[in-house]
Amino acid sequence: MRLRSRLRGLVALAAVIPVVALPASAGATTLFGSGSSAEQPILNVLFKAYNKLHHNVRFNYLPDGGNAGVTDVQAGRRLFSVNTRAPLPSDAGTTYFKLWLDGLCIAVNPQNSVSNLTIAQTKDIFTGVFTNWSQPGGSNLSSTIDPFGRNSSAGLYTFFQQAVLGGATQSSNVAQETSDGLVATNVSKDPNAIGYIGLANSGKGSGVKRLSINGIACSQTEIKSETYPLFRYAWGVYPTNHPSTAVEKFFDWVRKSKQAGQIINRGGAVAAFNNK
Amino acid sequence: MSTAPTPTAGVRPRVRTGSSYRLTDRIGLGLAWFLGLLFCAIAAAIVIYFLIEGIRYLRPSLLVTNPAAAASESQTGGFLDPMLGTFIIAVMSMAIALPVGVALAVWLSEFGRPTALARVAESTIEMMAGEPAVVLALFGLALFELPALGFLSQTTNGVVLGQSFFAAAALLALVGLPMVVASVREGLQAIPSHVREASYALGKSKVATIRRVLLPTARPSVITGTMLGVGRVIGDTAIVLLLLGGTLTFQSANSVPVLGLLRGTGDTLTGYIYYNAPTGDGNQPDKAYAAAFVLMLMVLALNVGVDLVVSRSRKAVRWS
Amino acid sequence: MDEEDFLEQSHGISQDQRAELWLGALVFVVVGVLLAMLAFVTYQAWPSFAHNGLAWFGPGGSIDQQITRIFTSGDLKQTPVYTFHAWPLIWSTILTTVGAISIAFVSSLFIAVFIVEFAPPWLRRVLEPVVRLLASVPSVIYGLAGVLVLVPFINNHLITQSEKASVTPIISLSGAGLLPAVVVLTVMISPIMIAVFVDGLRAVPRGWLEGSLALGVNRWRTFWKVGVRTVRPVLVAGTVLATARALGEAIMLLMVSGGVGFAPNPLDGPTFFFEPFRTLAATIIAFDDERSSPPMKHTLYAIAAVLLFSAAMLSFIGWAAKRPMRRYGVIA
Repeated sequence: MRLRSRLRGLVALAAVIPVVALPASAGATTLFGSGSSAEQPILNVLFKAYNKLHHNVRFNYLPDGGNAGVTDVQAGRRLFSVNTRAPLPSDAGTTYFKLWLDGLCIAVNPQNSVSNLTIAQTKDIFTGVFTNWSQPGGSNLSSTIDPFGRNSSAGLYTFFQQAVLGGATQSSNVAQETSDGLVATNVSKDPNAIGYIGLANSGKGSGVKRLSINGIACSQTEIKSETYPLFRYAWGVYPTNHPSTAVEKFFDWVRKSKQAGQIINRGGAVAAFNNK
Repeated sequence: MSTAPTPTAGVRPRVRTGSSYRLTDRIGLGLAWFLGLLFCAIAAAIVIYFLIEGIRYLRPSLLVTNPAAAASESQTGGFLDPMLGTFIIAVMSMAIALPVGVALAVWLSEFGRPTALARVAESTIEMMAGEPAVVLALFGLALFELPALGFLSQTTNGVVLGQSFFAAAALLALVGLPMVVASVREGLQAIPSHVREASYALGKSKVATIRRVLLPTARPSVITGTMLGVGRVIGDTAIVLLLLGGTLTFQSANSVPVLGLLRGTGDTLTGYIYYNAPTGDGNQPDKAYAAAFVLMLMVLALNVGVDLVVSRSRKAVRWS
Repeated sequence: MDEEDFLEQSHGISQDQRAELWLGALVFVVVGVLLAMLAFVTYQAWPSFAHNGLAWFGPGGSIDQQITRIFTSGDLKQTPVYTFHAWPLIWSTILTTVGAISIAFVSSLFIAVFIVEFAPPWLRRVLEPVVRLLASVPSVIYGLAGVLVLVPFINNHLITQSEKASVTPIISLSGAGLLPAVVVLTVMISPIMIAVFVDGLRAVPRGWLEGSLALGVNRWRTFWKVGVRTVRPVLVAGTVLATARALGEAIMLLMVSGGVGFAPNPLDGPTFFFEPFRTLAATIIAFDDERSSPPMKHTLYAIAAVLLFSAAMLSFIGWAAKRPMRRYGVIA
């Protein structure tokens, strides 16, 4: 009886030891990141490629939006983040690092014949001044406009606010989606929809039609030449104090290496600093 | 249902629903029939709908391939890892909830002193049963992001991830615990006191009585409670969403075989369904239907199991 | 075997005391964990309540904008903003919960009476396992059915262009809103109530019903006046259980409610049923990603605290309601 209970105690102890001793058995590092969901398709391919080169480095990325990602880094919950807007004073404690060039497209459902909008018209649609498709003109529809956008945790929303809305907030009838892909999904399903989507999620096969802004198309060539009005950089963010060297090495590889440049171009963005 | 004395032959028998059924009664009866049949129709519609959609979209390849991030639906794979994830959290959370729940039930039913502690314990456990899972999930996040508990998930450069199978299972154990406690307690209280007294009269200690007489008899209620707990655990989405990391496939913390997997992130069927619903990023309703069908089959199997256990225990020992 | 029994017997008393101590310690630990959770949630929620006072529960401004302000003020350079008037969320929660519970209560009562007393035996044998199965179906599956069947149906067939035009640019009607949410929630909580009511009605002593029948009362009246009236505590307990479930439901509502911090306005007429909203529990999940920002974290915990204490109060009501049943010797 006593022996059995002692044995049971020993078995329990033996089970605890591997769990506790695990931190000692390093080997693989997992880099935790979060941030932009618009850049996630490109980032996923970059993570996989980097892991093939450096087998002991893995990534865990949470696409909670660029602004939420920066706050994560500031709070020490994540090692790095990717944001789609330029740094602001509120990002104190973090360092921003340009990764590649990208753009924000305005997209509508393919059933909508409108093909071009000015920035002023886009602003009017997203601030609730235009409520019907007959108002901006160029559309075959005369139904109510269904605008889709992002919420406050998205870096894209902050960029959209600065570049299109002139600092105003989007009107309350803009459906606030939690990720870039969801905006694309909703626009592709609703004939009366319009939304602002990153390049990667609005390409061929996404089910949405990109609009020209001020007559200039939202495509890689126009963004590369910086003629498209809504071009922007994808930034890597890491803490200023004690950044992880693994993260810095990864960001360097993304920005400079030829292989990363190919991945970025294939993903729909523009490799701006990579070696050819 | 009996009315006046049977009328003699030749006189037309009074119809039963004569004066004894007032209008309100007829309305009530009619409403009961109508709503009952409506419920049958809705229940049948739900079951048949998921059956049809599930059979239409479920292919064996879905059960054995892993999900993958890809542009076209034919390349996004199946839900092998999420399915395994559901099994893993069910086993892990019940591995915690079962012994703790049985111990709690035994204490509440056999000991229960001091009474203040017993009442507090009863009310806390009942309160836990009604708690929204989101609140538990929020608490779990704060708990497992503590550096002290970093060994249960992953830590790099001082940053604790806080999301892992351990984290999700710990919180899910809290979800399944009240079911086990309630069921085992009911089973123990159903045993008449003369059984215990007979055991004590033979000189057995309380512990021996519990171990060798009461618990074996209450085994059906232990099994029922476990199955009900598993049913609740595999159906939970909120805790899994927040505490499991939501990676499509298992991402082990390191290469240690089992513990590395449990410290890593993954997904379950419920998370997979939520992700592939139109409101989620995956947006593949076909795969969502298939996964929902598999999940319903699991729930159905658990329910059938509970029914079998309960019906067999009814034919079991009679205490005279 | 005998030796073991002898050992148990001779160490009997101290073994019992030891077992009691260990088990008691375990109970203490479990209760301690749960109470620690209560204390932690309240502590983290305190800044949000302290800054807003009772206005936390009241109306005032667009709640989505308030959430944005709270989140963006979380950095080191600004003083944190806590202004939060949760009335749209509270109102949405009340609407869905009360709406679903009232419909479900009446239907479940009649359906339970039907199942226990009036259904043909073959139907009863089919229905009871079906009720239990439906009660254990995960909420994400109900949400899937709602968003793939109900929401498109409402969007395409029930909402007119003029209704959509009448509410723009405040909100967009897209099919997801109050109507599908209440319908799916009702269907989701009814099986729970039916199962509890059926168990309670079964436990009514048969003799009472037969006595009433022997006195010439018809079958419906007997069951309604004697059976249902006896199990009133069970009705309360079942309702409380279902209310707790409806209150904490987040996943299904996230899928069918439209996700906008808006208080549906009954004065809007038929449009009221299509207006999108977001409940308290759904808000926690929707904004969980923003909890790195300290004021946002405190606000989320404040919402969680409201849910926590509502559920606690509900379970207390349920416990208090079940006690009269024991008096009649009816175990439920």
